[in-house]
Amino acid sequence: MNGPTIAARPTRPRPGARTWVVLGVLITYTVFAGRQVGFDISTFWNVWSNPLWEKFWPVPWDWVLDWHNVLDPLLETFQIAVVATLVGCGLALPLAFAMSPLTSPNRTTMVVSRSVMNVVRAVPDLFWAKLLVTAVGIGAFAGSWALSVFSLAVMVKLFSETVDGADPRPLEAARATGGRRLPVIRTGVLPTVLPEYVAYGLYVFELNIRASVVLGLVGAGGIGRVIEAQRQYFRFDRVLGILLLVLVVVIVIEQVSVAVRKRLV
Amino acid sequence: MAAGPTTGTDGRPPAPTGTASRRMALGALLVILVGWSLTGLEITIDRLLGAPGDAWDIFRRMFPPAFAEAAERGVVGKVFESVHIAWIGTLIGALISLPLAFLAAGNLAPAWVRVPVRQLFNVIRAVPELILAMILIPVTGLGPWAGALAIGVHSIGTLGKWATEAIEGIDEGPLEAVAATGGRWASGMRWGVLPQILPVVTSQWLFRFEINVRASAVLGMIGAGGVGSELVSQLVFRNFPAVGAVLLMTIVVVLTIDTVSAAVRRRIIRGAGRAPGNGTDGDRNAAVLADLTGLRH
Repeated sequence: MNGPTIAARPTRPRPGARTWVVLGVLITYTVFAGRQVGFDISTFWNVWSNPLWEKFWPVPWDWVLDWHNVLDPLLETFQIAVVATLVGCGLALPLAFAMSPLTSPNRTTMVVSRSVMNVVRAVPDLFWAKLLVTAVGIGAFAGSWALSVFSLAVMVKLFSETVDGADPRPLEAARATGGRRLPVIRTGVLPTVLPEYVAYGLYVFELNIRASVVLGLVGAGGIGRVIEAQRQYFRFDRVLGILLLVLVVVIVIEQVSVAVRKRLV
Repeated sequence: MAAGPTTGTDGRPPAPTGTASRRMALGALLVILVGWSLTGLEITIDRLLGAPGDAWDIFRRMFPPAFAEAAERGVVGKVFESVHIAWIGTLIGALISLPLAFLAAGNLAPAWVRVPVRQLFNVIRAVPELILAMILIPVTGLGPWAGALAIGVHSIGTLGKWATEAIEGIDEGPLEAVAATGGRWASGMRWGVLPQILPVVTSQWLFRFEINVRASAVLGMIGAGGVGSELVSQLVFRNFPAVGAVLLMTIVVVLTIDTVSAAVRRRIIRGAGRAPGNGTDGDRNAAVLADLTGLRH
């Protein structure tokens, strides 16, 4: 045969010893965790023959669409989310500037605020709710407190990354004019990051709406209080009705928020 | 700017017009919304001024945390139980969501398959884990399996959505190459699509695992296994030093998992040597964050 012969196929890369070790560790851990958790594959088909499903239907719509029963608590959920978003995002604005190396007044402020926020974020939202319910009493007041803390943590995380990535040149220009710290940030950084700030704020609002639905389960007000009460009476038909209503509200808010965010960014 | 805005006498461009009244209207709307919201929260001056003090009081009483007492009650095991629940839940979500994502992707599936699968993702995402666990507990009984299952089902929604976006962003060249060799549909998916999305999807799974660790800690509060139950019972007894210990252990485990998982995700996305990503992104990779927030440009 003439012409360039095609060489044998290149040898296929073989996974190294490290890959096998990692894979082995992961599989071992998965089996162990599965045992600990009580993994039971039969649940996947047993769940369908659960006698409880009958209790979900029919949905008593005239009970669900009643102001006193459901709509008032649902409004309360909405109110909690609005206040928490505003407080959380308001506090997040100065904190994010303190946390970013670009705008932080000094290293100590930066490191301290970063570590505090990391710890705050490591505590799950309902833990905050439960702690604050214990501190200030059952009700929407505790719920809005807890969600404010939580939205502050999430917002600071998202927004400070935007500030980190901001264009440093306007900032430099503002500094070169001899401006003091706050006016420099106000004119050099804020205009470039403001659209994303509002966009993240709307996203946090969506998160808060979702979170405030379950706040009531630990006594922090809103629609969750009704869900928990009806579950205890095994009125799953009512629970389903509330869930469907919440689903509609969440999806509508999300669609509006996504549309606004697309225009902003 | 071909025509160019006319400059004022001092050489500055004129300020944009028409935004001031819109700003005023938006601001007024916001103020009304917040004012109305505040009326629903049973706020009195008393409570407002008293709350920071009350909260501080509780946090103060948590110190020093009673680690010995907490360890005796098996809190360490409970914290790890939460991690196990999150791991198994994430795996269930991952294994179910990946095939579904192929059916939801705009470039692979026809509209009559795609639309229902996407709606399924949306509906699942809207039901919180806690509510799922409530419904599952009568079937599975109280315990970690209810929590793992609830987390698994809820994760299908987000993981499916993220994986769909990853699939829609692929380079279609390899898919065409498989088709040109006469490969079947399944071969196209296996060799044309999967290798491209696997790094992104794996890092999404890890990111979801981080979220799920927090979620599974919360699930314990309604009896679905994990630390949550300890937090609730210690708070009921108003045993604040023990509460402090439970909280601190949870924080340490959550932060450790976050840090390790973020490092692994960075390694997966950027590789060992080359670093195409932007350098400023500290511990969340930008692509996953953009997916999470829907702010992908």
